[in-house]
Parts: sequence; C-alpha cells; structure tokens
Amino acid sequence: MFQLLLIALRNLGSHKRRTLLLGGAIAGVTALLVILMGLANGIQTTTVETATTLMTGHVNVAGFYKVTAGQSAPVVTAVPPLQKQLLQEVPELDYMVQRGRGYSKVVSDTRSMDLVLGGIDVKNETGFRRALILREGRMEDLEQPNTLLLFEEQAKKLEVKVGDTVTLSSPTMRGTSNTVDVRVAAIAANVGMLSSVFCYLPNSTLRALYQMRDDATGALHLYLKDTADVPAVQARLMKRLPELGYKVLDHNPNPFFMKFESVNREAWTGQRLDITNWEDEISFITWSVKALNGLTVGLLALLLVIISVGVMNTLWIAIRERTREIGTLRAIGMQRGWVVLMFFLEALLLALFGTLSGALLGLAVCLGLNAAHVTMPMAVQVIIMSEQLRFAVSPLAVAGSVFIITLCTTLVSLIPSFLAARMKPVTAMHHIG
Amino acid sequence: MTLRNLFGAVLATVLLAAPAVRAADMKDPAELKKLLETLDDRQRNGGDYKSLMYIEQKEKDKTDVVREAVVYRRDAKDQLMILMTRPKGEAGKGYMRLEKNLWSYDPNTGKWDRRTERERIAGTDSRRADFDESRLAEEFDPAFEGEEKLGKFTAWKLVLTARPGVDVAYPVVHLWVDKDTSNILKRQEFALSKRLMRTSYYPKWMKVFSESKKADVWFPQEMRFYDEVEKANSTVIVVKNVDLKPLEENIFTKAWLESKSR
Repeated sequence: MFQLLLIALRNLGSHKRRTLLLGGAIAGVTALLVILMGLANGIQTTTVETATTLMTGHVNVAGFYKVTAGQSAPVVTAVPPLQKQLLQEVPELDYMVQRGRGYSKVVSDTRSMDLVLGGIDVKNETGFRRALILREGRMEDLEQPNTLLLFEEQAKKLEVKVGDTVTLSSPTMRGTSNTVDVRVAAIAANVGMLSSVFCYLPNSTLRALYQMRDDATGALHLYLKDTADVPAVQARLMKRLPELGYKVLDHNPNPFFMKFESVNREAWTGQRLDITNWEDEISFITWSVKALNGLTVGLLALLLVIISVGVMNTLWIAIRERTREIGTLRAIGMQRGWVVLMFFLEALLLALFGTLSGALLGLAVCLGLNAAHVTMPMAVQVIIMSEQLRFAVSPLAVAGSVFIITLCTTLVSLIPSFLAARMKPVTAMHHIG
Repeated sequence: MTLRNLFGAVLATVLLAAPAVRAADMKDPAELKKLLETLDDRQRNGGDYKSLMYIEQKEKDKTDVVREAVVYRRDAKDQLMILMTRPKGEAGKGYMRLEKNLWSYDPNTGKWDRRTERERIAGTDSRRADFDESRLAEEFDPAFEGEEKLGKFTAWKLVLTARPGVDVAYPVVHLWVDKDTSNILKRQEFALSKRLMRTSYYPKWMKVFSESKKADVWFPQEMRFYDEVEKANSTVIVVKNVDLKPLEENIFTKAWLESKSR
C-alpha cells in the first residue's frame, strides 16, 4: 500500500506541468467555492443580524386596527396587559421591545420620498445601536421627541444633513391627513435594501403623527435566548392568544406593509393580532440570499463537471502514456485491484493537494477582503444587505467543499483506472504510444 | 378694552417714548427682551384684524402666479384664518389656526389636513407666521450680534434661537432691526444644521390707528421672501386695506371656511 502511495506521488512529481495545471484548476474551483459560500454566508448573517434588529424581532406580536372595514392601520392597542401575558407565555424570552409602525411621505425643502417608519424607544434598543454605524449625529438625540434617523442614501436623496427639518405627512386612522416636523438627529451608514425603505423616529413622535394613545404601538418584538425556539414559540402564541381572548389573524408569511390590501378586504373591524417570525418579516429581502445560494450551487455543479472531465481526461492521457508500465507491473504479478488503487490514489492525492491549497487560498482572500473593508457600489449594496463586502467562512463549509470536490474528482478517476486494470499484460507491453 | 390691550397700549407708549437704546445696552438680556416685546407690540392689535393681500409667486421654469387672499385674525384668542379668493381655481381654499394647530382646507376634496409650521402657504415661500401676529418674544431667545449697515439704514443684528418646546418654522433666525424706527428690515432663517433656508425683506412699513389698542398698529406693507434652497423661487406679499374693526363671531370655524366655497 505504501509502495503504491510512493508510486502515485512519484508519478505526480514526474509530470509536474500536468499536476500543476490540474491541481491549480482544482484549487481554483475550491477557492471560488469557499469565497462564494463565504459571501452567501456573510450576506445571510448580515441580513439576519441587521433585519432582526432593525425591522423584526425573532417573533413579533403585531396587528391591525380597523375603524371601518376598508381602512386598516398597523396598530396594537392595549399593549401593557398583552405584554404581561407574553411575559408569562414565553419563558424563552430574552427581552421585548415596542416598535411603532407607519408609512409616511417625508418632505424636505427640495425633495420628498415615501418611507416605512419604525417607532423606537432608543434607550431600550441595545441591539439597534449595535446594528447601525452612524455617519453623522448622535443616537442619544433620538430620545428627544420630533427627531429622525435617516440612512445616508435617504439623506442624500432628500438633500438634508443633521439638524435640518423634514415634514412627515400621513393619514391618521380616521383618514385625516396629519403632519409632523422632525429634526434629522442622526444619519446612519446604509444597510442594503433596508436603507432605502426604513427610517426611525421616537415612538412618541410616531404616536403624535398617527394620533394614537400612549398604550398603543405597532408591534411587540420578542427576542428569544435561542433562535431555535422560534417555531415553537410562534406556534404556542398562535394557540394560546386566541384562548386568552385575543383575535388573531391566520398566519401570512409576509411583512406587515404587504398585508394592507388583504386585511382591508376582510369585513371585520376593531383589533386583530398578527403573529409572525423574523423570516416572514424579511421575506421580501431574503431573495438575494436565496439567489446567491442558488448561484453557488449551480456554479459548483458546473465547475465540478468541468473539473471531473479534466481529471478523467488527464488520467486517460496518463494511462495511455504509461500503458507499457502497466503491462510490466501486471506481468510481474500486480493484481488488477492494485492497478485500480494505484491510479485511484494518484487522483486522490492530486485532488487533496488541489482542494486543500484552494481552500487556504479562498480563506486568505476572504480574510483579506474582510480586512480591507471594501465599500461596494449602491446596486451591489442592495443585494449584499451591507455597505461593505462581508465574508463569513464557516469551517464546516470549507471542510465540506474540500470533501465534495475531492470525492467527485477521485470518483471520476475510477473509470480510467478500471480500464487500465482490464488491459492484458501482453497487449499492454506491446503497446507503442 | 381688555386688560391685555390696556397693558399693551401702556407698554407701547412707554417703549416708543423711551430714548433710543445704545448698542452697548443691547448686550443686556433684559434690553434685548424688551426690544423683542417692542417689535411684537408695535404689530399687535389686541382686537380683530382683517386685510387683503396679494401673493405673487415666482418659481423656476414656471409661470408667475398671483393670488388674492383675505387674512382674518383675532389676536386675543390666537386665531387666524387665510381665505384664498383668487384665482378661480384656488378660491375657497384656506388655512385656519385653532389652538396652535394649523389646518388647511381644500374645497375640491372637502378635506381638512393638519399642517405644521413649515407648511408653504398655498405652495409659496410664505409660512403661517408671516400672516399671523408677531410672537418673537414668546417664541425666541435673543442674542445681540452688533450694528450693521443695510443700505442707508443702520440696523441692529439679533440672533434669535427658538425656545425649547416651541413649534416654529425655523429654529434660528437672524433679524436686522432699524435702529431708528424699530422696523424689521431683513430676516434670515436657518435650520439647526446652520443651513440658510430663507431670506425675507420688509421694505415698506405702514401704520393704522387701532381703536381697541388706542395706539398705532404697524404692519409690513410689502414682504419679499427668497427661497435659499431653491434659489430661483421667491414670493412677494403686498398687504392692502388693513381693517381693525371687530369681525363676526363665527369666522374662525371650519364651517365658515367651508361655506365660502359653496
């Protein structure tokens, strides 16, 4: 066995150019796969981290209030008793925050844009501070009423700076148009698509805009100690809240602002709760993660086919070149199985060297790009959900890439190895090639 | 005559009779406050107020528009009504101030919308405060910047900062007040980011005698507003026919404004 390993190593060493070319190709594919998986993983991690802080809890108890059948507002009324019930029903809870919800035309002195409003009590929002990088202003200023946090992209479009005033204009629950002047207190770095849709203001200001009572809010965001508990908690609340006398809407896995049409079509009036999880609320942005995952799988399949054909072809050439050697080995007593094993080991060693060096290269590229803090153009930011490229390389994913590529390239080598082993020693020794 | 009007008349007489204040005195916060009170009181009637106004709006790449409006005020109750009368398409539109809330009414939709202090009245460069009673002393804290020449006038330059919790269109105002007459000559308004938003000029001041105040009430006959963000936009307001006679009781109601377009 050791002899076979030596022969395989010697063969790889004696055909340096071929080994380097093929090993390089395998290394390249592995590096590309590691980078793509790191990017997809990075986007997913950023999306989950950012979105679960900025626009959704792990589980959300939100709802709609309808004064008339055709006019709904994203409001939960009588929040304190509901909060008390949730504390009892969800022992997995880490912490809970109230988040106002709204939709408004934001008017500056030169431009206007429609934005989704998020009402926050910045003192209680520890995760919120961590998720955003401020470019201008202070997060603490959002404790003052009539202030606003915008993202860079929005501030640029509205042509405003910290200290400038913009007007928010929205219809109240009764349909009267109301306006509030707010001062831009902070401008945060873009966080992908979210930064073109969302802006944040104190809950008190949101309530003033919508003329809501102090015990009303948009949603209760529940953050759990372990995100694995999300399905169980969601299912429990869907069952328990109706038992406790709350009217709950059927589960609709979409963000709240995509539900107005369907809610307005329903005949009921008054309050209905809507229980969602973080995946439901960010379903409109996870397409980029899914698309990148699909692209990674597709690219991997294509590259594996190309590499496998390359390996097979190279082994064909090697076997053709070494036909007389095979004949001699067979003539001096080497069994067919050992011949197969010899070529198998050669392919395995080549694949292992290629994939390991490729994985190291991919890892180095990911770490280098992370350290370089590369800022991406706006079009890319929308897809990658971040201003900068972020690669999150998981050791398991690297090991998986190395294993899959090594396995595939080694398996395809079995075909030419079997063909080599089937040759008769006499025929092989007479071969002129 | 109410106690407030009597007090106003006495204060105005005392202030106007006082010798010209020296620039050195203006560094005294009490003197500055007194100056703002003088500015307010010169324009305050205490009773009712009605005037006809022409509002000329110039916007970049648009035809100039002239609007006619009637402004009604009941200063004792902080009430204001602006009724657009011309052109025909705008007739019946209006604004009403009720308990610090500004409402706009559009007869085409029959809807009332609550507006803020930043609302551009009829889409022009004017704001609610330009039509209303002067409340500088109530709304701003003053600081003295020095004396400046504005053409042939010598003016005191004041920097006014909005008091906490007071709702104004712009939080910082630079004000040039004629040293000799105490007329406001120029006003520049800034955002908190120190961005200049609007410059106003008040080239003509007129006075009418008020029976309720028992003193003269001053008003700017012409106001020129220049948008400093959209540089090509400007608005000129010409005030005509100021009438200080008591108004009907029911003018400051939504129903009254709605009835004007029926």
